[in-house]
Amino acid sequence: MTSRSNQAFLLVLAVLAVLTPLAGGISPYYYDILIGIGINIILAASLNLINGYTGQFSLGHAGFMAVGAYLSSWLTLQAGTPSGPAGLALFAAALLAGSLGAAVAGFAVGAPSLRLRGDYLAIVTLGFNEIIKGTIQNAEPLGAQRGLGGMGKYTGFFSAFACTAVTVLVIHNLVRSTYGRGFLATHGDEIAAESVGLNTTRYKITAFTLGAFFAGLAGGLYAHFKQFIHPEAFGFTRSMDIVVMVILGGMGNMAGVCLAAALLTVLPELLRYVAHLELLPGWLRHVAENRMIIYSLLLIVLMIARPQGLLNFKPAKVKS
Amino acid sequence: MIEFLQQLANGLAQGGIYALIALGYTMIYGVLRFINFAHGDVFMLGAFAGFYVGPWVLRVSGLGPSYAGVALVLLAAMLLCALIGIGIERLCYRPLRDRPRIIVLITAIGVSLLIENVGQLVFGADPKSFPDLVIDRALVLPAWWGRLSALTITLSQVLVLGVTLLLVVLLRYIVNRTRIGLAMRALSLNPTAAQLAGVDLDRVIMFTFGLGSALAGAAGILTSIQQPSIDPLMGISAGLKAFIAAVLGGIGNLPGAVVGGVLIGLIEALVVGYLSPTYRDTIVFAVLILILIFRPAGLLGTVQREKV
Amino acid sequence: MTPPPLLQLDKVTVRFGGLTAVNGIDLAVGPDELVGLIGPNGAGKTTVFNVITGVYPPTDGTVAFAGLHLAGRRINQIAALGIARTFQNIRLFGNLSVFDNVRVACNLHRVTGPVQSLLRLDSFRTDEAAIAQRAEELLGIFNLLRFRDALAGSLPYGDQRRLEIVRALATRPRLLLLDEPAAGMNPVEKGELVRLIQQIQKQFALSILLVEHSMQVVMGVCQRVVVLDYGVKIAEGPPTAIQNDPKVIEAYLGEDHASSMSHH
Ligand SMILES: Nc1ncnc2c1ncn2[C@@H]1O[C@H](COP(=O)(O)OP(=O)(O)O)[C@@H](O)[C@H]1O
Ligand SMILES: [Mg+2]
Repeated sequence: MTSRSNQAFLLVLAVLAVLTPLAGGISPYYYDILIGIGINIILAASLNLINGYTGQFSLGHAGFMAVGAYLSSWLTLQAGTPSGPAGLALFAAALLAGSLGAAVAGFAVGAPSLRLRGDYLAIVTLGFNEIIKGTIQNAEPLGAQRGLGGMGKYTGFFSAFACTAVTVLVIHNLVRSTYGRGFLATHGDEIAAESVGLNTTRYKITAFTLGAFFAGLAGGLYAHFKQFIHPEAFGFTRSMDIVVMVILGGMGNMAGVCLAAALLTVLPELLRYVAHLELLPGWLRHVAENRMIIYSLLLIVLMIARPQGLLNFKPAKVKS
Repeated sequence: MIEFLQQLANGLAQGGIYALIALGYTMIYGVLRFINFAHGDVFMLGAFAGFYVGPWVLRVSGLGPSYAGVALVLLAAMLLCALIGIGIERLCYRPLRDRPRIIVLITAIGVSLLIENVGQLVFGADPKSFPDLVIDRALVLPAWWGRLSALTITLSQVLVLGVTLLLVVLLRYIVNRTRIGLAMRALSLNPTAAQLAGVDLDRVIMFTFGLGSALAGAAGILTSIQQPSIDPLMGISAGLKAFIAAVLGGIGNLPGAVVGGVLIGLIEALVVGYLSPTYRDTIVFAVLILILIFRPAGLLGTVQREKV
Repeated sequence: MTPPPLLQLDKVTVRFGGLTAVNGIDLAVGPDELVGLIGPNGAGKTTVFNVITGVYPPTDGTVAFAGLHLAGRRINQIAALGIARTFQNIRLFGNLSVFDNVRVACNLHRVTGPVQSLLRLDSFRTDEAAIAQRAEELLGIFNLLRFRDALAGSLPYGDQRRLEIVRALATRPRLLLLDEPAAGMNPVEKGELVRLIQQIQKQFALSILLVEHSMQVVMGVCQRVVVLDYGVKIAEGPPTAIQNDPKVIEAYLGEDHASSMSHH
């Protein structure tokens, strides 16, 4: 347990511990954004494992997030949202359970979808996202269409960013290992990967399961920060947000994806600000109000001009 | 029994609309091997074309609500959508012709999101009520239908099915009997060979996009005649259902798209009638997943394998 | 008694729709044997490789390796049994470095699993170091170590072919299938390749099945040659006999390889 990366992780935790009191001092508005950045990095990094490294195309990441959010919330609510150390222990257990639940969902999506190529897979994952959402909307114990509230505010700066660090390090270490290079080989050429003995099916399922696990973790953190969750928050739009982060950062480029996640968390806030600037023409303010217009234009222009991602400075590796 | 037949009648009319949209997905997939994610949004634009052009056409032609008026508006919307489809292909997809599929897919998603969100900006996000191109009414069924005359069948349902049938026959003629149709089929069978045989790729792809988008535009008008409330996001759900229909029938397969469309329409109607409307989307997606697991080539499609 | 063959194809037929690419072929490769598989373009050589490695199931007939029937096994399971191959149309992992292309093929013989790699345990680090050393050794044999960190897709063509051989060797095969390894190489490079093939066959105790158009290479290394034409085996024997077999010469007539048959 003394490898460099384990040391790095301990260092990150120490830094987080030092920063925690500072983070407590900033205004609630910025604190919200800060936690949002952590959660989005978890989501983007985990989707990067599926879409970036393994070359699958999931459009349903928010569905896994929903599983984590609802499962962990249901657990803490059932336990009566205690406070103090008991609350923290419960929170940790609920986060883990939520993540495991999401991982099971990821396995369930990954296993049958593996034979499908990119575009089919995209639609199937989107479909699973809708099915998960639809199931929650029809589930009374989870608040159905009304949403679920009253969770304790367990998520804080330390827990959010410790989870972020774990996620990024785990995925980073994994894909750099000899085992993990198999994810990239699966992406590069499935038949060649199989012919050197890699079980590409298992790699894809693993990517889905592990990616979903961390999406579930992000969901649990989100639920216990917002203290209210609603099925609509885990629909196609949220999934698309995460996809845009991964594409903008450059699929399979971890640093860029994390940076993009942070930027795209701040961007809507900036746009909201721009939308209120009196001196801008009305239509521009309308555009600014609707971040999806900007995202979609960005997607189109990026794919045509810079498919390796905006924040990826490695040379383009375009497969033909 | 009457109840069941009533659901079937409702499902059939909706299925016809899915079939028209699904045909576009399948044709475009046939020539370009990719799912035009923005196809459902072209359908939405067709509805809005009718919304804006409809009253004007009816006024200028002096026709008022009538079948001729419907035909004119239908043609106008089809033409507009064909142009939009061709424009999308020219601007967004053609520069990506030789890129990996995933890149094209992402672009298509981008185009779809762009149309939806610019649509909300330009048309307004709230639902609009579609002008009355015909005065819809329940048909009085002849007495000799016996117990069946208790069914409620509306004029718009008959109109939708009639027009759908007409367009499908027309499409069949174009694909099977014209030079450009032959080129389309050649391209979807074997792109390399077709190009060697002198098929003009750009022209065929343009034509396919035009044709598919025109059908989506027609579907937009027909839907709005049945349910005269339209909004900029109406293409998402209809587009996904139609895509599922295309996959169910076997993507790339024209009769398959029609069969798939009708089946999805029927399944939806039965779920709504006998289960609960809240399960409609969930069950349709479950159908998609089941078909992809157990018969990935669809009902009428054939599997293709990669050459190594 | 000759030892039982390592690889045995028994009346193997492969059809693609109406086209019979391979038609009732019997083929055996013994331990430590180096067999050539030749024939005009489209004769079905690559298809034979695809059937052996599990890419396509045979329409008819059986393939056995080391006494095991291969029917129903996945490509990766067949690789794990000890069959490795290269591809005629190079299929490297273009998105990985040269080193990683080889390293990823060492996964079959990895001792530690994903869990150890997540926790970065010492056992994992030892394992990774051993794999790295082995990958570098193999790259060294083919003089590719100088490209260690370059993207595989950026290598010159001939080096990409050599890298595919290295990647195949990294799986520690008992049988190596080489699909036109000398394609696009000049005579000097071909000579070098012949030497390397002989070297690795001895060093790693390999059986090799070699598809190659270059007679320089086939005559240089093969102990026995099998000739396919239109999916049918038309001749089999020592290289010198094959070269003068009228049926073989006829099969090649009109082919641009007829010339390469005549001189070596
Ligand atoms: N996946 C496939 N689908 C259809 N035909 C194929 C496929 N693979 C090979 N063929 C055909 O089988 C025949 C033999 O091909 P191949 O084995 O590649 O020949 P060779 O390697 O001897 O040049 C050729 O006619 C080729 O077109
Ligand atoms: Mg070949």
